[in-house]
Amino acid sequence: MSLTVSELPQKEQGLFRTALKLYETRQYKKGLKTCDQILKKAPNHGETHAVRGMFLTNLDRKEEGYETIKHGLKINPKSSLSWHIYGIVNRGDNKFEEAINCYEEALKGDSENINILRDLAHLQAYTRHPTKLIETRKKLVKLNSLFVPFWLGLAHAYHMAGKYDLAIKTISANEGQMKSEPGIGPSEISELLMYKNWLVELNGDYQQALENLKEIRPKILDITGWKEQKANLLFKVNRKEAAAMAYQDLIERNPDNKEYIYGYISCNGLDVNQPGDEDAVLDVVHTLQQQFPSSSTLRFMPLTFCSGENFIKAADSVAKHALRKGIPSLFTSMKTLYGNQAKTKALGELLEGYSVQLRDTKRLSDSTDDEAASVLMWCIFYLAQHWDYHGDHERALQLIDEDIKTSPETVELYTVKAKILKHAGDIRGARDTMDFARQMDLKDRYVNTKAVKYMLRNDDVVEAEKNMVLFVRDDAAHKIQEIVDTQAIWYMRERGHAYRRLGDIGRALKQYHQVLSSFDTYRTDEYDFHSYSLRKVTMRAYVDILEWEDKVYSNDVYVDSAHAAIECYVELHDRKTAGKPFAAIVEKKEKPLTRNGSSKQGQHNLSAGVDEIKVAEVDKDPNGSTYVDADDHLAEALKYVEKLESVVGSQPATHALAFEVHLRMKKYFLAFKSINLLKSIDSSHPSLIPMAVRLASELDSDNTFAAPMKAALKAQLSKSFGDVKIEDAIKANDQSLDFALAGAKALVAMGGDADLELARSVLSKAASEKYGETRTLSNLLRAKDLLIKAGGNLESQVSELSRNAKVVFPLSTCF
Amino acid sequence: MITIRQARAGDQIAMQQCNLMNLPENYHMKYYLYHFATWPELSFVAETENGRVVGYVLAKMNDDSGAESPLDGHITSLSVMRSYRRLGLAERLMNQAQRAMVELYGSKCVSLHVRVSNKAAFSLYKNTLKFDVDHTEKKYYADGEDAYAMKKNLEGLYPAEMDSLDF
Repeated sequence: MSLTVSELPQKEQGLFRTALKLYETRQYKKGLKTCDQILKKAPNHGETHAVRGMFLTNLDRKEEGYETIKHGLKINPKSSLSWHIYGIVNRGDNKFEEAINCYEEALKGDSENINILRDLAHLQAYTRHPTKLIETRKKLVKLNSLFVPFWLGLAHAYHMAGKYDLAIKTISANEGQMKSEPGIGPSEISELLMYKNWLVELNGDYQQALENLKEIRPKILDITGWKEQKANLLFKVNRKEAAAMAYQDLIERNPDNKEYIYGYISCNGLDVNQPGDEDAVLDVVHTLQQQFPSSSTLRFMPLTFCSGENFIKAADSVAKHALRKGIPSLFTSMKTLYGNQAKTKALGELLEGYSVQLRDTKRLSDSTDDEAASVLMWCIFYLAQHWDYHGDHERALQLIDEDIKTSPETVELYTVKAKILKHAGDIRGARDTMDFARQMDLKDRYVNTKAVKYMLRNDDVVEAEKNMVLFVRDDAAHKIQEIVDTQAIWYMRERGHAYRRLGDIGRALKQYHQVLSSFDTYRTDEYDFHSYSLRKVTMRAYVDILEWEDKVYSNDVYVDSAHAAIECYVELHDRKTAGKPFAAIVEKKEKPLTRNGSSKQGQHNLSAGVDEIKVAEVDKDPNGSTYVDADDHLAEALKYVEKLESVVGSQPATHALAFEVHLRMKKYFLAFKSINLLKSIDSSHPSLIPMAVRLASELDSDNTFAAPMKAALKAQLSKSFGDVKIEDAIKANDQSLDFALAGAKALVAMGGDADLELARSVLSKAASEKYGETRTLSNLLRAKDLLIKAGGNLESQVSELSRNAKVVFPLSTCF
Repeated sequence: MITIRQARAGDQIAMQQCNLMNLPENYHMKYYLYHFATWPELSFVAETENGRVVGYVLAKMNDDSGAESPLDGHITSLSVMRSYRRLGLAERLMNQAQRAMVELYGSKCVSLHVRVSNKAAFSLYKNTLKFDVDHTEKKYYADGEDAYAMKKNLEGLYPAEMDSLDF
């Protein structure tokens, strides 16, 4: 680092160097003192202030540290060292774009500083700025062309920019000298050659890639990767016969990889999705099956593309094999076929047939002897799930209970029984059944996990936590913190939902934020690999990591938790504007919470468990008041709306939710944009017309919005949707509860007397027969929540809905 | 239909969550990524038709300082969902991981640790996967429990293949 320490007296120059050394050895307190010592003599030395600020940020005095660094930069705005420090601090706080600016400033005074350039390259790779990255990487190669991570980094920068030819050239120019480098062995060379071959393929030169693949074979250690590439390239140059042989070779390595099998089939000029090819594909699969009898993938595959007699024959073979072996996942596997009605029907009849034969004769058509009793048990196990799938919960329960009677020690039976009860709406019964299963095998974390999940579904947060910590390692200082630290996102999300149902928005938000920040950690985990992977030369894995990170936030758990968090913030905002702000629940013992308006008695006391008291030492905000007390709830919600818009803009729910936030922020053009985006994805989405009506109504009532803009927006709205009413939209789709709910939700939000009246009359009839299959458990529960919100009369309207919902879900305990 | 294939970066969250569902030894994402970025060919997943990971093997090489070449392979974690038992998934996953250890690193041996109290896992390793107890490591686990250090000889199991270069 070029230092302008010469401005300091001799002794202070020495002290300054000491301070930098102390930073490297992480002796921050000592370093801080050293800086103070220098500043006594030279209070206006900018760089000392910057170094001092860096120590402060490492001593948990962040804000002061930042201010101190900025102060140093004010005194000496050209100091490369101070800018470098500012960059390091920003990077440490995950402020990557800010850090880049600092590093760029730092380079102005010290353009050949390898450390600064290298850090900058990592930042530019992390933030995906390929063009700038190339420039930085070129400078590094110029400074040290022999260092492998530098030229490899340049090749990767070209790769990121889609300039494959330059990436290949960079590797070709340097690979020769590679062998003499320390840390480079046969496996690094093998990796590099495979990477380069991939680049040639990406560049579109398949024939050349194929030639190259032959040449490099003696140096390749990743044999599977090489064989995969061989098959892939032969297929791409249309040499189907040779490609088929290559796939056959791969199947021999791993007969349970379906991609190999599909590859082999298409090399034979066949298409599994083409009904006309069915018999020919089946021949191919049968031939492979004879060669690889151990492959369960090959055994199952015909079920996916066969129909009619072929299907029944294949299903018969798979099902008998599974029943005799006692494979519990038979139904789960078959369920992937249930989208096809003919297959569903055939499977039901097949298994029903088995059960009749087994009950009558203890044998199946091809039995040579009486079958073991377990075969009938697994057959009934299948049928229970089959009828559960069809919504016939009573029949399903009857069957599973019959099984339990004959085989009471089989844990799987209870797992399925709990699932059926859950589907039937008996949340409490599901929880109890799964807890019973848990107690049958206390050492098995899987059943414990399931039990915890069902407890949370039943809103037993304290009980769930007690059981969850049973499998958290004993030496963890704070077991609940350990759950967060090990990123058990499923648990945090379910727990958030439980708190939300209980009306504890603060704790719910806290859980959702734990999920969301786990994903932020997943994202920033990438940073270190920009340096690590280049040293390890594992380039294909490195590129794969970056591609995964690009879409990490589109994970279902993230999206669902972000939705829930946004809705919680919207609710906090609405309650605040209505003059009934929500207050974080601190003293929980006094106030057991139940579901809003639920007739069920809430035994689910939220009283703080012992663990929660313990965790309070590390958790300064156990009840989520930070989120509840945020100044601007909509601004908080907007952060996640924007995130969702950028990562899952193709999902309708994103825009329906964005609308809710934009509308409340009075950003009418953005609200209109959300409507249009939703329309472009699904022009008959149930929320579409209600959204348009709500926007029009907001515009009418907002006198602060400029008249010309209001007129322009209203004109556009009526051009797209005409003079439509929510009532009409509900009537036009009166066989779908989804439309009724979307309409009612908008009516409740508008809140006029007539709106609420209409909402109540629609919602109290949510369980009507006309809605058919759309009367799902979750839809009916939503209807009930909305009806209460709409001020529905408990004795007449709510009980009418509950009574009718009970007819649809007779076993349910939640109405 | 369950497919066995090499793990990708995009599988790591699912592997982590599968691990959290089934086993008491859990790890940060960074640790999974470290495995993937160092030995990308050694870990495998079992994936259902609708893309759900129901089993995985997370493997590495024993490259502690002082380890001699060829390095031994090591199984960091192996797990299959209880509801997907009896399909031979653990065996299939291990088979792929072992082959990769032999081909990429010339491993002669693969090792793993198991809690002495974990009878189900022990019997899987001993009887199904043919591992033997090498020795007991006292207080191997953070909570003070001992581990069986188990080993399996890989010599001769995966003979080198001659690839025809006539294509």
